Amino acid sequence: MSMPKGHKSSHGYATVSSLDGGLGYREIAERMTSQGNKMNHSTARNVFLSSMRKVAKDACVMMGVDPTEENLKRVSSDPRFQSGVIDILRESHV
Amino acid sequence: MKSSLDVYFKDVGKRRLLTREEEVSLSKMIEAGDPKARAHMIESNLRLAISIAKKYYYSGCNMEDLIQESNIGLMKAVEKFDWRRGFKFSTYASWWIRQSVSRYISSHGNTIKIPAHTSSLGWKIKRLTAEYEEEFNQAPTIAEITEILGVTESMVKASIQASRFRHLVSFDATIGGEEGGRKILETIPDKNSLTPDDLLDRERISKIISASLSRLSKREEQVMRLRFGLSDVEDKSIFEISEEEVNKLEAKK
Repeated sequence: MSMPKGHKSSHGYATVSSLDGGLGYREIAERMTSQGNKMNHSTARNVFLSSMRKVAKDACVMMGVDPTEENLKRVSSDPRFQSGVIDILRESHV
Repeated sequence: MKSSLDVYFKDVGKRRLLTREEEVSLSKMIEAGDPKARAHMIESNLRLAISIAKKYYYSGCNMEDLIQESNIGLMKAVEKFDWRRGFKFSTYASWWIRQSVSRYISSHGNTIKIPAHTSSLGWKIKRLTAEYEEEFNQAPTIAEITEILGVTESMVKASIQASRFRHLVSFDATIGGEEGGRKILETIPDKNSLTPDDLLDRERISKIISASLSRLSKREEQVMRLRFGLSDVEDKSIFEISEEEVNKLEAKK
């Protein structure tokens, strides 16, 4: 019997390589530390994921989706959602 | 107001049909090189040309052009008619007229020009398939078509492929004939464009997410921007650390 193949995301995964100029958690941690905000790669990841969850929570509420932990995790890690957030951040940055 | 075609039909309708004897005597005169007899023979059979052209009305070609081609076929028939064989002229001419019109349609009726022989083979295949299906309750294979029609397999394949282009329509073709105001292209919905509802929804979502992003702390926003590759951290003042800590960090460098 073959081993279970694990979870497969229905819309792929948002990875650093899929984001033009995006940094890995280790690089973020180094950059933030060098700029005076000390953190390690786990903290960088936790900060990023919790921020995404906060944004996802508001989006879920607006769309009438129950903001459970499971839903928040699903929405925040969805590359389509992340790409929407990138667009908005880009606009606000410009 | 009468169209030019109506006038033409009325004019042609006035002409009397020829009897078999008249056809023979005119043919003899044509053979002798009498141009008036030739004109008389053609003019007396224009009704036949019109009636055959009308059968191809739904081919997508202009009716005036079809009649024109039909008349060309009629002229060929007049030149080649052999009265000694004993057939009526209309029996002989109808084949020439049909050939002329169908050749015109195969070269002008489509957006993509298909050679006449390919088009003609296509019709043969279509007819054969219909007869075969009626007899055996199944469509013939390409090998069977090749064998029955006595042509090569590549010709059959090319002809079947070409017949798929028979009903192509130009995006720029107007709907409802020449006078139609709208083009086909204008009636095809753009599935990628957003409806006003979608645009409003998008704007709402965008506002909510923007508001949500603005509630993030500077640190969170900065990490997010770095993760997404949107900006770099240059301004130290955005982090709430003391001057002492900054000095310590700078001393470590």
